[in-house]
Amino acid sequence: MKITIDHLTKDFGSTIAVNDFSAVIESGELIALLGPSGCGKSTMLNMISGILPSSTGKIYFDEDDVTDVAPEKRGVGLVFQNYALYPHMTVLENIAFPLEIKKVKKEEREAKAKEMAKLVHVDMLLDRKPKQLSGGQQQRVAIARALIKNPRVLLLDEPLSNLDARLRIEMREEIRRIQQETQVTTIFVTHDQEEAMSISDHIVLMKDGFLQQVARPQELYDEPANCFVADFLGNPPINKTYGVVQNGAIVLDGGCVVELDAAKNLKEGHKVILSMRAESIVVDEGMKNAEGTVVETYVMGKEVLAYVSLGDYKVRAYIPAEKSFGKEQKVTVGLKKRGVFVFDAETGERLA
Amino acid sequence: MSTKTAGKKKSVSFFRKIEPYFYLAPFAIGVLLFTLYPIVNVVLMSFKENYNFINQSYSGWGLGNYLYVLNDAYFIQAYKNTFMYVFVVIPISTCLSVLIATLLNQKIKFSGMFQTAYFLPMVTSTVAIGFAWRFMFSHRTGVINYLLSFLGVEAINWLQIPKYNFPALCIYGIWAILPFTIILLLSGLQNIDPMYYTAAKVDGAGPIKSFFRITLPLLAPTIFLVLIVNTISTFKVYNELFPLFQGPGIASNLFTVVYYIYYQFRIKTPMKYGYAAAAAVILFLTIFVFTMIQRFIEKKTKD
Repeated sequence: MKITIDHLTKDFGSTIAVNDFSAVIESGELIALLGPSGCGKSTMLNMISGILPSSTGKIYFDEDDVTDVAPEKRGVGLVFQNYALYPHMTVLENIAFPLEIKKVKKEEREAKAKEMAKLVHVDMLLDRKPKQLSGGQQQRVAIARALIKNPRVLLLDEPLSNLDARLRIEMREEIRRIQQETQVTTIFVTHDQEEAMSISDHIVLMKDGFLQQVARPQELYDEPANCFVADFLGNPPINKTYGVVQNGAIVLDGGCVVELDAAKNLKEGHKVILSMRAESIVVDEGMKNAEGTVVETYVMGKEVLAYVSLGDYKVRAYIPAEKSFGKEQKVTVGLKKRGVFVFDAETGERLA
Repeated sequence: MSTKTAGKKKSVSFFRKIEPYFYLAPFAIGVLLFTLYPIVNVVLMSFKENYNFINQSYSGWGLGNYLYVLNDAYFIQAYKNTFMYVFVVIPISTCLSVLIATLLNQKIKFSGMFQTAYFLPMVTSTVAIGFAWRFMFSHRTGVINYLLSFLGVEAINWLQIPKYNFPALCIYGIWAILPFTIILLLSGLQNIDPMYYTAAKVDGAGPIKSFFRITLPLLAPTIFLVLIVNTISTFKVYNELFPLFQGPGIASNLFTVVYYIYYQFRIKTPMKYGYAAAAAVILFLTIFVFTMIQRFIEKKTKD
């Protein structure tokens, strides 16, 4: 099912949690709602589920306006951050509960619940109580309970945040698998960029209640719409430097001149941010955009992480392990086309 | 030299061993003196025949006291009354307090005011409030009869006509037991994660369904606690008799077991300590059996 969000705003009085948000989520996709803590992503999810009413704007499921429809009538399956499994019911009863409310006959709903349990691989735990399950198993049960009524959309609020690191990787692949098998449009909230990058079809990136960018994960990484998107994605974080456009080059604070084709079209004297991914910086390989000094190097095994000073900034760059640099060695710094961005220093808008 | 240190070590470790008992002593002595000793004494007393408290004399050991008590019409009446009282007050008060606690737990306006209103009886003396109830039960001018008149019920002489004494006692007893019960249940309700209600709501559960399927099961441990505490306390009904009737009903028709104990112990001349003790032991055993049954049911439902 396609979800259309049209100029949606949530005003909590003192704060605006979601601000004039418009996006289209295609049918059958796995969408990550990504952003730092407090950016309004959970509010967004709660408005889609109907738990929170919106202040202004509209939400459409396919062509139906569901803005004022109660949560139980929207056909959403919701998985809570801490799962909210009913502690007094067994796994089977928990999964079957939505059908119990719909007054589906006992045999029928239990058969369906068993089918769901099989889908999420908890069919051997049906008689257990939630307390007797591990975090990952509880998560699976919660997903099964959300899926049993064939929801039009599955919503997961920070589904992996309560799991330990290893389980997290396992469960995110499971969420992907379950989503692929059921083909249900799925939106999950996360603040972990890696989680979002690894399993989603599209990422919706938010900050301070504003939509930043909707794109495929790779596209978001390669073509960030603004400085925030570039900063938010990537590990190690992108190298962020400030400078001014002079004579078709960017002069960084501290006087380092960076020759850049992209800078030739920019207005003289324009204050800009030059952001470079660590893997886009090459050192002493014949390519020359600037001159710098190697400050420190850290051996990482297959490669070396070098700190290179460019003007006032120390930027991280990956260099091949076989190369070695002395301390304070002057080097030429080359910048690849990919992973190097210029943003407006004031608005953060992408310039090149 | 070496023996000296060894001796020192020994005394240190000996002190270490007995040290905890010093800390325990104040409480332990209190319990022994004021709880265990009286209990043991009462049990012993119940088997002493023709016991005289003043000169500690008795004619011999035996079951005479029990035989007397179990054949005493007053005791039989008291035992019946007490049981009836428990069986009327406990179910009604429990249901009522679950209902009121659930309502108080809602996000309603003035909920703080309502909570205070319900808890007020707890901080006021039973006897003082009992006198207020006397006025409320009054035949001609009481507010209860006034309210009932709207339902077309004719004025009932609650306090002066024996057959209405028991209902009056129950109404008062239920009312008196509510506040504490509501406090316990309310704290139980507040321990239920609101997430469960949100989850149930998204799944389409209405308020009644989520009350029976979520609230009640999750509140069950607190309800059992309330049942046990209240059953024990209602079995000991006694205080309530004085403000309403200055005694066991208007025509000695409302003996309760504890009142019977008091009667044997204090009112009868010469005082019958043995009978009182025997009645007390019978009451103790009754409460004990009931509590065990409740615990058993609680365990059964848990599994």
